[in-house]
Amino acid sequence: MALVEGNTQPESASQQPYVFKVVLLGSSSVGKSSLAFRLIKNDFKDILPTLGCAFFTQMMELDGSALKLEIWDTAGQEKYHSVCHLYFRGANAAILVYDIADKDSFHRAQNWWKELENEFQPEEIVVILVGNKTDLEDSREVTLEEGKAFAESKKLLFVETSAKLNYQVTEAFIAVARELLRREEQNGGQSRQRSPPVDLKETARARKVKCCQD
Amino acid sequence: MSLKSERRGIHVDQSELLCKKGCGYYGNSAWQGFCSKCWREEYQKARQRQIQEDWELAERLQREEEEAFASSQSSQGAQALTFSKFEGKKTNEKSRKVTTVKKFFSASSRGGPKKEIPEAKAAGPSINRQASLETDRASTEFIEFLKTFHRTGQEIYKQTKSFLEVMHHKRELSIEEQSEGVQDFYQNVAERLQTRGKVPPEKMEKVMDQIEKYVMTRLYKYVFCPETTDDEKKDLAVQKRIRALHWVTPQMLCVPVNEEIPEVSDMVVKAITDIIEMDSKRVPRDKLACITKCSKHIFNAIKITKNEPASADDFLPTLIYIVLKGNPPRLQSNIQYITRFCNPSRLMTGEDGYYFTNLCCAVAFIEKLDAQSLNLSQEDFDRYMSGQTSPKKQESEPWAPDACLGVKQMYKNLDLLSQLNERQERLMSQAKKLEKDLIDWTDGIAKEVQDIVEKYPLDLKPPSQPLAAIDSENVENDKLPPPLQPQVYAG
Repeated sequence: MALVEGNTQPESASQQPYVFKVVLLGSSSVGKSSLAFRLIKNDFKDILPTLGCAFFTQMMELDGSALKLEIWDTAGQEKYHSVCHLYFRGANAAILVYDIADKDSFHRAQNWWKELENEFQPEEIVVILVGNKTDLEDSREVTLEEGKAFAESKKLLFVETSAKLNYQVTEAFIAVARELLRREEQNGGQSRQRSPPVDLKETARARKVKCCQD
Repeated sequence: MSLKSERRGIHVDQSELLCKKGCGYYGNSAWQGFCSKCWREEYQKARQRQIQEDWELAERLQREEEEAFASSQSSQGAQALTFSKFEGKKTNEKSRKVTTVKKFFSASSRGGPKKEIPEAKAAGPSINRQASLETDRASTEFIEFLKTFHRTGQEIYKQTKSFLEVMHHKRELSIEEQSEGVQDFYQNVAERLQTRGKVPPEKMEKVMDQIEKYVMTRLYKYVFCPETTDDEKKDLAVQKRIRALHWVTPQMLCVPVNEEIPEVSDMVVKAITDIIEMDSKRVPRDKLACITKCSKHIFNAIKITKNEPASADDFLPTLIYIVLKGNPPRLQSNIQYITRFCNPSRLMTGEDGYYFTNLCCAVAFIEKLDAQSLNLSQEDFDRYMSGQTSPKKQESEPWAPDACLGVKQMYKNLDLLSQLNERQERLMSQAKKLEKDLIDWTDGIAKEVQDIVEKYPLDLKPPSQPLAAIDSENVENDKLPPPLQPQVYAG
C-alpha cells in the first residue's frame, strides 16, 4: 500500500490502473489545497507542482492494484456554491473538508453533503469527512465526537488531520482509495471501466440532462 | 441565424420570393427558395445523388487504401508513389467539389446536392474551399495515421466512413440524437478496437483522438450551433450579459492577480487570447486544448502575483474575470458542442476535463451573478448594470490598470483639462467678483461723498464786503484816520 512515484507507471500492474475522480469540497481556507499539497509534497519531496494544486493526479498501489487518483480542487467561496455541482459529474469520491477551529466550516461541510446527496445514489460515491487543522487544538470549535457523529449518521468515512503537521493526510487519501477499491471489487468492475468503454453511454446521457443547461 | 438575416438583407427582389422552380407558389428561404413541394422533390433527388457519390467515393478510397497497403508491404519507393497518387486523387477530389459549388452558383436552379447548399449559402466559395482544404488535410492525416495500424487501420477507416454516411442521413434529426449517434460510435469503435483490433490500451487514446478529429472536422459545420437549437440565442444572451458587466473590477471578484506587474498582465492577455481562440477550432479536443492553455496562463499569472501555487479558490474567480474581459465568441455554442461531441471520458476526468468544468462553472456563475456575489449593495449593482454610473470613477485609479498607454494618456489629459477648466472658472468668478468689488467700491465712495455732501451742504455765501473792498478805493477808509486836512494857523 505504498504510494508509487507518480510519473512512472506501476510495473507490477500490467493492466491500466483504475482511474478515480476525487473532488475536494469545503469552505475557503479550511485547507483543501493544503491537504492536496501535502499529499503530493510528501510524495515528491523536491518536485513541487509548477503551477498550482487545483488539479493533480496521484498514483497509488494498494493491495496489488494500481490506482490513479485524480484530485479536483473546487472553489470554496460561498458565492460559488451554486455552480459547484458541475464539478460532481462523474466523481467517484468526495473529500469534505472542514476546519476544526471553525464551527461555520463544519456546517458548510454538512451543506456540501446535502448537495452530494441530491446528485448521487448513496452507493455511487465514496465520501470522507475530514476535520483539518488539528494543530489548532487550543481554539477547537468542533469536537472529535461531533465530527464522528455526523459521519456515522451519514455513513461517511471520517478522519481528523493536520496538513500543517502532516498528520494523517496520506491516511485520509488511502482510506478513500481503499474504499473505492473495495466497492470496485464488490461490483466486480461492472459499474466502472478502466478506460473509456462500458459506461460511456450512461454518463453521456446523464451528462446531457445535467450539464450546463442551467 | 445570422446567415439568415444576411440573406434577408440581400433578398429584396420580389421575384426571389417565388419558388425557384417557377411553379408559381411562394418559396421559402428555409427550403433554398423552393416551395415545399418542389423542395421535397429536389431534396430527394439531391440526396440520392449524394448517397451515390459518397458510396462511390468510399469504394474508390478503399480500393486505393488496399492498393497502398499492398504496395507498402512490397517496397518503400512504391509506397511513396502510391501515396503521391493518392494525394493527386485528393486534389482531384477537391477541384471536383469546387466545381460543384461553382455550378451551383451559376445554375438557375438551386437543386444542387444538399451537402453543398449550406456551405455555399453560408460562406461563399472561397471560405468553402478553405474549409474543404481543412477537411482534406484532416483526411490525409487520418489515413496516414491509420497506415501505422495496417489491417486494423483499414478496419477503422471503413467503419468511420460508413459512420459518416449514416450521420449524413441523420442530419435532420435533433442535435441530441446526432450527439448520441456520435457517442455511440465512439463507444463501439473503442470496444471493437480493444476486442477485435487488439489495439494496446496505451495506444487507444491516440487512435480515439484521431477518429474524433477526423469525424468532427467533417461534421463540424452541420452540428456546431445548429439552427434547430437555441444555442445561438444563448450565445447572444451570454454575450450581452458579459457586455453589461463590463464594469466589474478584479477587486470585486477578489481576483488574486495584480495586473500592474508586466509579466502578469502579459499572462492575462495570453489567457484571453487562448479563450477567444477556442472558437476557431473545429475538433472538440482542440477546443479543450485552448481552454487548458488559457488555464495554464491563469495559473502562471496567479503564481507570479502571489508567489505561491494557486488553488481552486484563486483559479475560478480569475477564470471568471478572464471570461468577462475576453467575452469569447459563441461561448455557449462551444460549450454545448464540446459536451455533445467530445469523448465523454475526457470531459469528466483528466486535466482538460477539469478546466472545461471550471469554464462551465464560470459561465454558469456569470449568468447568475448578482450584487451579493460582487459584495455590492443592490442599488449600486442596479446602477452599474443600467450604466448610469461606473464604479471606476469612485476609485483612486480612474482607469483600468491594463488600459493601453494612449488611453491612459487620454484619461490623464482629460483630467488635466477638467482641472484647467475648473481653474478657469474659478478665475472667471474671481474676476467677476473683482469687477463687482470695484463697482461697489466706486459706488460706495460716491455714496459716501453724497452723504457727506448732504450732511454738509455746500453753503455758498456771498463774497464778504471787506474782502471785496480790498482793492477798492475806500478800503477801511472809515477806520483810517481822516486824511490830514491842511490847516491855517495864522489866521
